[in-house]
Amino acid sequence: MARWEVFKKDNARKPYQAVGSVHAVDPEHALHNAKNVFVRRPAAVSLWVAPAAAIFSRSAEELENQPLDPTANGHEQRYLVFRKASNRRSMTFMDHIGETSAPNGESALAQAIDQFDDKPGLAWWVIPAEAITASEEDVAEAWFAPAATKTYKQQSQYGFVSKLREGRKGAVTSDE
Amino acid sequence: MNNALKNALLNRLIGMADDELILSHRNAEWTGHAPLLEEDIALANLAQDELGHATVLLGLVEELNGKTPDQMAYFRDAAEFRNVQFLELPKGDWAFTMLRQYLFDAYETILYNRLLTSSYQPLADVVAKFRGEEIYHLRHSHMWVERLGLGTDESLGRLQAALDQMWPLTAQLFQVSEADNLLSEEGVFPLAADMADEWQEIVLPHLANCSLHVPTHATMLLAGRETHTHFLNDLLTDMQQVARWDPSAEW
Amino acid sequence: MTEEQKTAEFEERIGRDEKIEPGDWMPEKYRKQLIRMISQHAHSEVIGMLPEGKWIPHAPSLRRKMILIAKVQDEAGHGQYLYHAAETLGVTREELYQAFLDGRAKYSSIFNYPSLSWADVGMIGWLVDGAAIKNQTMLAQCSYGPYSRAMVRICAEETFHHKQGKEMVLKYAAGTAKQRDMVQDALNRYWWPSLMMLGPHDSESTNTPQLVKWGVKTKTNDEVRQEFIAETAPELIASGLTIPDPDLHQDEDGVWHHGPIDWDEFWNVVKGNGPCNAERLGMRQDAHDNGQWVRDALEAYSEKKYGAAAFA
Ligand SMILES: [Fe+2]
Ligand SMILES: [Fe+2]
Repeated sequence: MARWEVFKKDNARKPYQAVGSVHAVDPEHALHNAKNVFVRRPAAVSLWVAPAAAIFSRSAEELENQPLDPTANGHEQRYLVFRKASNRRSMTFMDHIGETSAPNGESALAQAIDQFDDKPGLAWWVIPAEAITASEEDVAEAWFAPAATKTYKQQSQYGFVSKLREGRKGAVTSDE
Repeated sequence: MNNALKNALLNRLIGMADDELILSHRNAEWTGHAPLLEEDIALANLAQDELGHATVLLGLVEELNGKTPDQMAYFRDAAEFRNVQFLELPKGDWAFTMLRQYLFDAYETILYNRLLTSSYQPLADVVAKFRGEEIYHLRHSHMWVERLGLGTDESLGRLQAALDQMWPLTAQLFQVSEADNLLSEEGVFPLAADMADEWQEIVLPHLANCSLHVPTHATMLLAGRETHTHFLNDLLTDMQQVARWDPSAEW
Repeated sequence: MTEEQKTAEFEERIGRDEKIEPGDWMPEKYRKQLIRMISQHAHSEVIGMLPEGKWIPHAPSLRRKMILIAKVQDEAGHGQYLYHAAETLGVTREELYQAFLDGRAKYSSIFNYPSLSWADVGMIGWLVDGAAIKNQTMLAQCSYGPYSRAMVRICAEETFHHKQGKEMVLKYAAGTAKQRDMVQDALNRYWWPSLMMLGPHDSESTNTPQLVKWGVKTKTNDEVRQEFIAETAPELIASGLTIPDPDLHQDEDGVWHHGPIDWDEFWNVVKGNGPCNAERLGMRQDAHDNGQWVRDALEAYSEKKYGAAAFA
């Protein structure tokens, strides 16, 4: 079954971020799976899915060892650009940082690296805009808001469960 | 609220809560056994949403009869449950589960829509909170019926078999009792029979688009919500065994 | 560059706390070890749904039922995240899963023990998830980016598992006589397997030194076991329950010492001779077989609507 990368936008101020992937056979199926897997807890306001096969991907190390060779093959189209810019501990991989227009993935990435030079990229993805399917805006409320009411799965709801008053210093808490 | 009206409302609230509770139980049985890992997760979402709705509705019941949601769920016998029969049937195969979900989601979407304007404000308020989840559920089961109906011969065959079995039972959703007229006159609860047309307008075209044939000569189930199959008994034996093992305990 | 130079450069990167990402060069052994670890871990999460999932229909209150569904669902989610991480190393979920069903891949031995009573759900949450969190918190620092990210995501969810289990155990330990007996019995059965699931002693663990060097693991099994006992034992004792190890004690330096672990049992269970090995694998095999026509239908639908391999 095809693999789809999932991008989640947590709120209006956050970019779409790569959170993982789902297996699915078509875009609608992929969106449902993405919602069910990645929005079990708050928060999300929107999701994108893209077939993993449509992604042109390079790590910084790959770029160093085999420089890009942009060509004019293909038809000019919009590409969305994603970049990982930090080694900080995180549960997300790439951030969506903008878009570019190019005839193919390799050229799109070459342009993106010039265009988005505010930070060095540790890894890059460019994806044709037409390969990405977004959750519909008019159903966003129905898809994403209810997760906020599922408080029983938030560890904070359980307070400090203990018979002992001292001794434990939250050693197992690892919320990010 | 006079007594007759209150009892009629209680009956309907218990029916709604039991529908959600029993369906949730069946859906949760898929956790760990679904055809795709992503669907283990999806079914557990459904089960949680439905269990959440059941709990809130039983909260409204408690305001009227003083029994806690746990007492209602764990210390009533089958004869006291008011869910419709097709929800208590075993989970069956994936086609049965998804079709049942679809037919019921469509019904609930209509019911909740109407209850948004119920003159019984507490009910209108809680239903407003359920709406988002119900819209999503219907989208999900709608998607599945389409994929199974238009998938392989086998998936279509299984889906059709599920429809043949379930269709006559869906009539129970639209059964009306004497007391329901009272509720409808007071604007508390819509007359179930009035929702049948709207329900058919939603489900019939989709079933047809998915290559399914609605049975034409089926004998529809006209029994009231107080009648059940032995499957409910089995389900409750599972569900209530620990709670009844030590009724004095807090869990 | 020679293999040695590449390896040296790779180890330097790890030394600088860089994350290794898909596409980066890595020693073949690192790749293999990661696939082994991540997929075993994924299988464990997936099989881990069963001992507790079995109790969902019997949950004795609406709240407990809700929590348990959410918890078991999270385990499915964890398996899902981990298969994703493994897939970035050039294997597919399907082939990993097939190896698991065929009995060629291992999974955590703890899931081959039966869950005999409702209290097991609490004990599993507190001890088993508690022990798992120790490992997972460490693996969240791991040098391989996708594995580390999956672990960060998982850790955030596990804390809920741990707390709900602990809440149950403490409540039942202070509850009715029947509840106390039930929860003590659960502790008797789960204490030793929880210690064992943290892995063999350092002296017996062949993989550990290399994994520590490559930043996959940052602590040894015995170090993690010590932390686990230090966190759970005092609270279990304070709750009035009896830990089934007469030799368990803390020395003047605060270090915990436990009685000898029955490693023969451990290896026996790891090899697949545990009490529930066949039953649990059989259940997953059934789910897989019964789901085949569903997956076929999905593929057929997609092919009709979008053409063959439209998204591959
Ligand atoms: Fe987990
Ligand atoms: Fe867990």
